[in-house]
Amino acid sequence: MQSGSVKPKLNSATDAGRVVELTNISKSFPGVIANRDISLQIDRATIHAIVGENGAGKSTLMKILYGLHQPDSGTIAINGVITQFKSPSEAMAAGIGMVHQHFMLADNLTVLENIILGSEPTKYGVLSLGDARKHVNELATSIGVEIDLDLPISDLGVGQRQRVEILKVLFRGAEILVLDEPTAVLVPQEVDELFTNLRKLVANGTTILFISHKLDEVLSISDQITVIRQGSTVATVSPKSIDRLRLAELMVGSDLPSHGERTTKVGEKIQLSARNLTVVAKNRKNPVQNVSFDIFESEIIGIAGVDGNGQFELCEALLGLVDTQGTVEIGGIDASNLNVRERLDQGLAYIPFDRHREGLMLTASLWENALLGHENSLSRGPMIDVESAKKSCREIIERFGVMTPSELVPAFVLSGGNQQKLVVGRNLATAPKVLIAAHPTRGIDVGAQAAVWDEIRRSRDAGMSVLLVSADLEEILGLSDRILVMFDGKISAELDPKKATPQILGKYMTGAQ
Amino acid sequence: MTQSKNFRLFGLISVALAIVSSVRLWTDQDALTSSDTIGTALRLTVPILLAGMAGLWAERCGVLNIGIEGMMIFGTWFGAWGAWQYGPWVGLLFAILGGMFGGLVHAVATVRFNIDQVISGVVINLFAYFGVRYLSELVYVGKKGGGISQSPPQKSALPKFNLPVLSGGEIAGWKSPDFLGWLEARRWFILGDLGGIARGLTHSISWATVIAIIVVPVSAWVLWRTRFGLRLRSSGESPVAAESLGIKVNRLRYYGLLISGGLAGLAGGTLSIVASSYYRQGQTAGRGFIGLATMIFGNWRPSGILTGAMLFGYAEGIKLVASDSITALFLLIASMSGAFLIYAIIRHKRNQVLLTLSAFLLSAIAYRTIDTVPESLTQSLPYVVTLIVLATANQRLRPPAMAGVPFRPGEPH
Repeated sequence: MQSGSVKPKLNSATDAGRVVELTNISKSFPGVIANRDISLQIDRATIHAIVGENGAGKSTLMKILYGLHQPDSGTIAINGVITQFKSPSEAMAAGIGMVHQHFMLADNLTVLENIILGSEPTKYGVLSLGDARKHVNELATSIGVEIDLDLPISDLGVGQRQRVEILKVLFRGAEILVLDEPTAVLVPQEVDELFTNLRKLVANGTTILFISHKLDEVLSISDQITVIRQGSTVATVSPKSIDRLRLAELMVGSDLPSHGERTTKVGEKIQLSARNLTVVAKNRKNPVQNVSFDIFESEIIGIAGVDGNGQFELCEALLGLVDTQGTVEIGGIDASNLNVRERLDQGLAYIPFDRHREGLMLTASLWENALLGHENSLSRGPMIDVESAKKSCREIIERFGVMTPSELVPAFVLSGGNQQKLVVGRNLATAPKVLIAAHPTRGIDVGAQAAVWDEIRRSRDAGMSVLLVSADLEEILGLSDRILVMFDGKISAELDPKKATPQILGKYMTGAQ
Repeated sequence: MTQSKNFRLFGLISVALAIVSSVRLWTDQDALTSSDTIGTALRLTVPILLAGMAGLWAERCGVLNIGIEGMMIFGTWFGAWGAWQYGPWVGLLFAILGGMFGGLVHAVATVRFNIDQVISGVVINLFAYFGVRYLSELVYVGKKGGGISQSPPQKSALPKFNLPVLSGGEIAGWKSPDFLGWLEARRWFILGDLGGIARGLTHSISWATVIAIIVVPVSAWVLWRTRFGLRLRSSGESPVAAESLGIKVNRLRYYGLLISGGLAGLAGGTLSIVASSYYRQGQTAGRGFIGLATMIFGNWRPSGILTGAMLFGYAEGIKLVASDSITALFLLIASMSGAFLIYAIIRHKRNQVLLTLSAFLLSAIAYRTIDTVPESLTQSLPYVVTLIVLATANQRLRPPAMAGVPFRPGEPH
């Protein structure tokens, strides 16, 4: 058993050289190439940012560095020595510490207990709390953090919790710190504080890998920036030699296929109208601020944006799941005071962000899943009309090409693409007036993606209006009749997809313009 | 901070003592604080206390233990068997081992095979109940004093001791004076009560009681001051975080459940070896569940569990020793809740005011109207008292965050 495994702090910021050197790292998962020939050099005592869109492969790369995944090919060298990490503890032992986006903290334990957990300084198995406290206080002072070590984590705000995570990693003697989207959960003042702490850390000789897609922050904090797109490194640049615009272009890329023109016309009648929609949140900024738009009959509006800029809350607001200010009209009827079921009855349908969490009951059969939301039309009195429900499920399976042995199998046996087709089918089968489709093709293979797009286009041609929320620019550009860009809870631009390019979209999506 | 805390505690105890003493003198019911009552209460406290501590160890490591009752049944049976065959000390050891067996079953079921923790606990209760009956048939039937529902008596009883000088204990054959007994007999305001209480706690004490009391500080020390304890608690609070720091969560849950089972077995052993001299079917009488209730009452902390168990023990003790003191107890409850009521009004705590007011009115009415209490009501008194205290004690409960949630190591979270 180890006791008090605290390494001496590295103080020589002048000890320059490559701390981390990744060479030709490739990693593929079944059906997806996550990393392709990535090479990366990181200098000691610098902040090195890794930027890229969602799904570009940043997280996979960091997981490889942290020992959570093993690369298919390529080498990792730490301080010039080629190493292989089979587990996070091996990476930890080599001085690599990771601060996860989702904190790994025990709420009811105190700050001190959380920090020392797993590498507690002890004497004969008894905690040396005095020593631990002294050491943690030294670490905290050295990076300018003030925190009460005896408070339970549940009493702390998000920013302070993150500070605890950083201290936890430092307490284990980490010299290389990986921060996964550290600012995603912080408000601006907390970001400033964090950056102050990080600069002090670097001054003490620590090396930081900073993963982000927020270009402003990346440009202000880092010494070097590496851009990753579609699993490969695009460029490594210095923040001094690049501006936001160019960085956004690098991040988004330009080679995207085009789609066939639509042959039908957008209708005249407004089907969904939002006026000054605001979602009020406690303890944080309002996620949706004063959003207004109209969707006409047979029109697809694409909401482009980086995840977490209010798209999720906007959908919830339109559905009536959260308290909102402002008005919503569905098919010309004021729906602001209607509940979710009443809004659905007005002709609204919703393909949710996460099919597993919101879309399906994984252990229930397909016909039960297909029944969800349509219980009223598929029941006789209080009893479900099982035969009709199964029949309607079979129709969905056939029409939308869901590959399944029957409607009786549980949903979890289906592949992601087929699950998604079932969810899409369930919502399109009743011919809704308005469809809110959130990431309708996220995480499914190309064939299923094309099938879902075809179905959405077909329903649109039949008069359905669609609000398409997606982070996939190809999808947005290919399907939409108009594009709204959402940034920081607001609509930051309205664009014509014929004139918009990924570069232009990228600028607005990242707030660069 | 601790000094003012101590001062408050001292003040609280003084006020409570003054109220108790006044009620005793007013109603002429010396049994309220007699050494007899307190001694009985202490004996009755022990199994509940141990059951509560068993629950604490299980939930702190992240597993609900509904099976404490069953593990106690194992304790009563195996304890009595050991005491019958080899004497009381070996009996206690067997009681612990019997309980640990139950704990191990629970651990294998819930940790190894991910069986629902509540279901596993319930099954252990049923299995223990019928299992020991089967064992009795094999072992006890036909033996002198034994049968299908009870064991032959134990070889000898555990020794008891009195504190010398204060409670008439013997020093090398010399019988020292019983100072506390003398004080109690004077019946003075507060002093007489103090004498009775202190003598009850020091007179004719079984060593098993001493062991049970020691479990409390030892558990607190191990859980909050050692590496093992911190890691065990982290398994109950956030197994995901613990695992990410290289802690073997499932192994710790095994340890926690073995300790839990051992304590539950010891609780059963005190019932069949100390409180009685043989095993009897149904001896545990739901004390495992009451133990779980005291654990919740005690906010998953050893000191709180001790308080809760003493409360139960006292209410049960007074019922046993002097059931005609029950009406005096109503007055005592009324006075206590009256005092709390004043405190709550001063502090502007609305909910507490309402709760204490209703408790006050109920017990006051009961005191004014009820002369003889029916047996069934007397039986339920400990539960009623506990309910009232649970309702009026204003506390923020902090159960281990992940107790009851199965953990599969190595899975994505």
